[in-house]
Amino acid sequence: MNEQLTLEMLVEQIQSGDDNVRAAARDNAGQVGAAAVAPLAKIACDSDPEKFEIARAANRAMQNVVYHAGRPGASDEAKAVSAELIKLVSAEPPLQFRRDVMWMVWQIAGPEAVGPVAALLGNADLRDDARMCLEGLPAAEAVDALRAGLKAAPDDFKPAMAHSLRKRGVETPGVPDLRLVPTKQTSVTPVGR
Amino acid sequence: MIDRKVKLPRRTFLKTAGAASATAFAAPYLVPTSARAANEKLTFGHIGVGGMGGYHLRDIKSRMDRGEVNIAAVCDVDDKRLENASRMAGPQADVYRDYRYVLERDDIDAVVIATPDHLHALQTVHAAECGKHVYVEKPACCTVQEGKAMIEACNRAKIAVQVGSQGRSQPEAYLSHRYLANGNIGKVSRVDCWHYPTPSGGTNPDSDPPEELDWDLWLGPLRWRPFNRGYLHGVFRWMMESGGGQIRDRGAHVMSCAMWWMGADGTGPVTVEATGEAPKRGLWNSAVNMNVTYTFKNPDWVLTWNQPGNPVPPEERTGNEPGGAISRPGYGALYTGTDGTFHHWGGDGGTWAERKAREWKPGAGAKDVYESPGHKEDWFEGIKTGRKTIMNVEAGADVAILTVLGNLSFVLGRKLNWDHSKREIVGDEQARRLMDRPERYPYVI
Repeated sequence: MNEQLTLEMLVEQIQSGDDNVRAAARDNAGQVGAAAVAPLAKIACDSDPEKFEIARAANRAMQNVVYHAGRPGASDEAKAVSAELIKLVSAEPPLQFRRDVMWMVWQIAGPEAVGPVAALLGNADLRDDARMCLEGLPAAEAVDALRAGLKAAPDDFKPAMAHSLRKRGVETPGVPDLRLVPTKQTSVTPVGR
Repeated sequence: MIDRKVKLPRRTFLKTAGAASATAFAAPYLVPTSARAANEKLTFGHIGVGGMGGYHLRDIKSRMDRGEVNIAAVCDVDDKRLENASRMAGPQADVYRDYRYVLERDDIDAVVIATPDHLHALQTVHAAECGKHVYVEKPACCTVQEGKAMIEACNRAKIAVQVGSQGRSQPEAYLSHRYLANGNIGKVSRVDCWHYPTPSGGTNPDSDPPEELDWDLWLGPLRWRPFNRGYLHGVFRWMMESGGGQIRDRGAHVMSCAMWWMGADGTGPVTVEATGEAPKRGLWNSAVNMNVTYTFKNPDWVLTWNQPGNPVPPEERTGNEPGGAISRPGYGALYTGTDGTFHHWGGDGGTWAERKAREWKPGAGAKDVYESPGHKEDWFEGIKTGRKTIMNVEAGADVAILTVLGNLSFVLGRKLNWDHSKREIVGDEQARRLMDRPERYPYVI
């Protein structure tokens, strides 16, 4: 694509029924930057089954914005994109989309994301995604949030929180480590026995 | 509560003297200590029994039928595949859905892991922590950090690991290696790999998982998402998260040969730069076409991965050559030296060398290279003698990391700088974050 992609062009082309046009918009979305995040999010959340490929393209275009803004020497762009993503974390779009957004957040955000993400540790549907996001955020504030999260977590979620803290170099004595504990039974019986 | 320290093997044949050598292939890093090493049968558990897992199970079963080994367990998250595996393994083998039941059994010495790529590192590390020797399918890891964790855990446990890049153990791989090591094309400065494109697809909508599948266990460390058939058996490799396309599937073969034959195990590139084209529609998101350039220093050489690149038509053969007829001509590599070129085709279970390497007769004083007795046999030797395997955990992780870096450069759209001494990306904060990825609990390393 030789022409500089504008936000208007991106929004139009990402919704094209032509695979080539849509894919080119997706692949070049990064150059539009933070301004693209909210419009792309709206398209990505469209649940119309007829627009399934368009929604997917918009979602992946957002990821490309994150990759592009995360390049060395573009910290202002990264902050701007992070700010837009954080708004989505705190909003009420579809559950799976919020998971996708949190996966993007740890790839680009700084300490500004910690509060909004940590607030989701109490959300039964999103708490493990929030934990993973905090684990991946390099900020010291993320470790503090994980510590606080461990204290507040119900017993069944403490091992996961403790794992994230261990990954960040914080020991958590007394919390069970369930990694090697088998739990899933099969209904298959050995053939011929 | 599980002790995070390594659960050393319950049997005594792998006592813990001896330290791993990072680079010396021939140096023992496990020390055989008992007569059992030579005289007792190894007992296996098979984790992941479809696809290549089925191939490995048939192979080990044939050895069991010859009285050489035992199979105590088969495991799969798909009940249909598990039932088929039970039928194949025989009634003495217990059946499991959850691989951790296999790992907690004291009577199992070694596991064969042939699950989708995103489970390789997790299950290898867990197996090492339980003191099991490991044969794990390639590519060894999906992230840089997974590779580092595998190396650390396996060396700490002093287990024998064989990564399933079996191309190194093929007869014509030995002939190729010997030909190149003896300078027949001079100093090699360039290896260009070619491979046909990664497919596009996965256009079905999400749905409920089939009854026979434990979707939670299949996802393992991957973040949660609804089931889609486009993720599953065989095609998982076209997704970045669980596979990564041809560069990962076959790059782990063709580039494995390159690293072995170039004497580059234990080294890595200084820069990685990729370009490519993602699928235009569908779930699968690995690059359809791509070109990756890996630049090595001291010694200086360049490795490239090219989809589709410039495929070289295969030579005519009689089929009586050491590697037989060429059945997979769609991938291979061109080696360019100061005095000529050399081609090979395939690189996995079929590795086929250009005629001049097959027909070359070493003269007096010629250099010989290691000739694998077979990929499994080489692993068994590693278990029993402590000798480093031909595709040991460092070599396997490093080749997989090459493929990871290629994909990372592709998705980020920029060149990466790599410090192999630390196995780290340098100078790119975001890329450094992406050397790792958070895992879903409890499927964590």
